[in-house]
Amino acid sequence: MTVTIATPRTASAEKDKDPALIRWLIFVRDRGIFVLWAVLLIAFSIWASPYFASIDNGILIANAAALTAIFAAGIAVGIICGALDLSIPGTAALASCVCGWLITHGTPTGLAILAALALGGVVGMINGLIALRGFNPIIVTIGTLSVMSGAAAGIAGGYTISGLDSLVFMGTDRFAGLPAPVWITAALFAVLTVFLTRTRDGIRMMAVGGNAEAVRRSGIHADRYKVLGFVISGFCAALGGIVTTALVTEANPAANVSIIFNALTAVALAGVSLAGGRGSLPRVLVGALILGTISNALTIKGVSPYWATATTGLLLLGSLAVEKWVSTSVSRRLVQNASASVHTGTR
Amino acid sequence: MTDNALELHGVDMHYGYVRALDGIDIAVRQGEVLGLLGDNGAGKSTLLKVMSGAHQPTNGEIRVHGAEKTFGSPADATHAGIQMVYQDLALVDAQDIATNLSLGREILRKGLLGWLGFVDHKAQRRRSTEEMEKLGVRTAAMTRPVEMLSGGQRQVVALARGATRVFNDERNGILLLDEPTAALGYEQTQQVQALVRRLADQGVACVLVTHNLPLAMAVCDRITVLNRGRKVADIPAAETENDHLVGWITGARPSMFASEEAA
Repeated sequence: MTVTIATPRTASAEKDKDPALIRWLIFVRDRGIFVLWAVLLIAFSIWASPYFASIDNGILIANAAALTAIFAAGIAVGIICGALDLSIPGTAALASCVCGWLITHGTPTGLAILAALALGGVVGMINGLIALRGFNPIIVTIGTLSVMSGAAAGIAGGYTISGLDSLVFMGTDRFAGLPAPVWITAALFAVLTVFLTRTRDGIRMMAVGGNAEAVRRSGIHADRYKVLGFVISGFCAALGGIVTTALVTEANPAANVSIIFNALTAVALAGVSLAGGRGSLPRVLVGALILGTISNALTIKGVSPYWATATTGLLLLGSLAVEKWVSTSVSRRLVQNASASVHTGTR
Repeated sequence: MTDNALELHGVDMHYGYVRALDGIDIAVRQGEVLGLLGDNGAGKSTLLKVMSGAHQPTNGEIRVHGAEKTFGSPADATHAGIQMVYQDLALVDAQDIATNLSLGREILRKGLLGWLGFVDHKAQRRRSTEEMEKLGVRTAAMTRPVEMLSGGQRQVVALARGATRVFNDERNGILLLDEPTAALGYEQTQQVQALVRRLADQGVACVLVTHNLPLAMAVCDRITVLNRGRKVADIPAAETENDHLVGWITGARPSMFASEEAA
């Protein structure tokens, strides 16, 4: 039986290129946040001159953004892998108290830090294993949030654990002119970015967030990667908790839920879809930096801090609108020239 | 007998008291396109799920290249050389074409980076391009995310993913297609049809579930019709016609195997 086939059209030469407009729209979607940050930096440099545009102020912004960025990394990895991890403040508080307790009870600082980080991973694994049973991850992590803040208070005896001076190398100390949290954040984002975009496990993890069923049908144990997402998220939370502790040299058992909202704002600003499967960590880092930049500039100009919050909110809503517009225009364009870009060779 | 790529004998499938499949015998040879027709609820999808390992039949045996197999999961069927192209395509939208084609069989880099699990994106793109070329299809740049493809292009990518894995085995495998043209326009349907035909010519055994009679008549070598869980027709496409098929599908035409059933 024969099948008639339309003769292939010429156009194969341009198969590697999208139309210029689409490329531009994709650029806005993928790199828009970098442009936004650059615009903000230039605008603030003029508006808040001469104090804003200095190296010292830049370091200040980076340091202020570092903590938000660490927690945002945790949230972002969770969301990319398909689950919003709300237990992050609890994990942070628990890690911080465990680290503090171990240090005050004579454990070497390095070991105490490692133990607290490992604990963060274990908490993530528990979250993941529970969520795999088919429970909604948001509810599960709200539950573990309460459990862990309770446990943290239990370990600390209800009070803050103070005098943790041996942690300052992760807090206020500077290395090569940059504060320790900036180095830690940079290292964390570098490692996670490479992991998610270059390694097999990272790519599979993103794929699981996008379409777990598709990954499963490719013969991969999708569940393992879901748990891995929670583990990384728990690790980031623990790291953030330890850095917080190091900055103030005391461990506070109270879970600070507002860090989730800051982190989520940075993540959403970075265009990480809550549906999962997409997002880029460098953009999340810039999202956190934008939050820091705005509050820094407004502080320099003596504007009340609540205006900084309001501005960030408006930016967030604006970024949602742009994203929506970009994705609808892209899909409209693609439908228009879809017939021109599908080709069939001859038999 | 031995050139049957996939054979099912006496397959029953019961859901509680419901008989979804009743004593189905079916075989597809290498290089043959078998059309599986039937009304909604006739058991086509169930049969396809039995073939792909998603469901375990209540009774009956499955043979792949003559060897009896039991599929506990889709992974077992995949291992035996059976690939399924799902109606929902099962693609990862945010990832590009090369990543989608390579999922589960990634190429790692050489040396230390490979040991650390680093993927060789370039080699994967190269391999994907080669595979698409071997299939004779061209969609878009391998770096294009699947979400930025049209419906027809996505269907081609999903088909290619199944097809390339079928080829990867030493022996050409079996490709199961669930309504591959349901969401496509006329021209794209023609392209998918040509691709299926080309795969069969290269020795792949294809099972095609469809509602599209003209497609089935154009692309299939042999057509099997199911009605309420029973096989009512199994005939070379060249020896039948639209009206007969419609008759079998709706049940207006008596089963080809009526006498056997009575016996």
